[in-house]
Amino acid sequence: MIAEPGSFVLFPLGEKRFALPAEIVTELARPGRLQSFPHRTPLMLGVLARRGRIVPVFDIARILVGPDAPSGRFYLIANRQFETCRESTAIPVTGECALASCVPDFPGSELPEYVTGVLSVGTETIEVVDIERLIALEDPA
Amino acid sequence: MRQKQIAAPPGFREAIIAFSVAGFNFAISAAAVSEIRGLEGLQSFAPGGEYDCPDSVRYTMHRNGARYFVVDAARQFHLPPSGAKPQPSRVMILRLAATAVLVDSTDRMAEISVLHALPQAFSGEERKWYRGLAMFGDDVVPVVNHLSFLSGSNLAALRSAALQLRGVAAV
Repeated sequence: MIAEPGSFVLFPLGEKRFALPAEIVTELARPGRLQSFPHRTPLMLGVLARRGRIVPVFDIARILVGPDAPSGRFYLIANRQFETCRESTAIPVTGECALASCVPDFPGSELPEYVTGVLSVGTETIEVVDIERLIALEDPA
Repeated sequence: MRQKQIAAPPGFREAIIAFSVAGFNFAISAAAVSEIRGLEGLQSFAPGGEYDCPDSVRYTMHRNGARYFVVDAARQFHLPPSGAKPQPSRVMILRLAATAVLVDSTDRMAEISVLHALPQAFSGEERKWYRGLAMFGDDVVPVVNHLSFLSGSNLAALRSAALQLRGVAAV
């Protein structure tokens, strides 16, 4: 597959960095007050109230780096597309994010199915994550 | 399309009652509640497994000649037993159903002008439990769907079990 260069937001989760397509990322937010109430949705940590809107928070680090993932310092806010609406989702990240313009590689089937490509940034290899596929792994509904 | 607020007519106002269960805050439409009481008059209800009754119902109570099945809200929401936290101290009797709800406390009445839709990202049982989310300043509180506590088939099973138990007790 020949890929076009694309813009990606690189975000840290502990020692590793991952990437999301820049077009779905809307902002990097300072830590807010995470509020929770009873629910049965896997990976859901709770919600943030932001400018009169309610933004659900997903702990994707648990899948990407395991149960010992450090807690997030910021929230990366990304859009998810549902059947009837588009909705913001917050992802806790552990540090500053960066914007990169890169051509992704598609190294084949040895990567988890939620990885849609890899970026080479210096000596670092960064996985591009498809949030929908990743969340669907835990929540097939 | 952005996250939705549930469509409400201009000037929409809804009175709600705030309550708490196992350290979590909730709200319920005041119009759905006919009475709030203490725990006096609760009768233990243990129908056994053969009746397919929801295990969130452990008590019944009688008011004005009617029997109410009392849903333990902590069990309904899969919350751990209260332990050292506040224990249930209030029963909310619901209007138009033989259902009452056991909660830790009822805190206040308030009025909301907007009910936010539960974000689509929530995909579990909570989609049945909640009508939406209310905001009080920056506090987000789920507004429970009072019809979700006991369905028609739940009530039918509970009534059958209660009749059987009464028959056994009379023998």
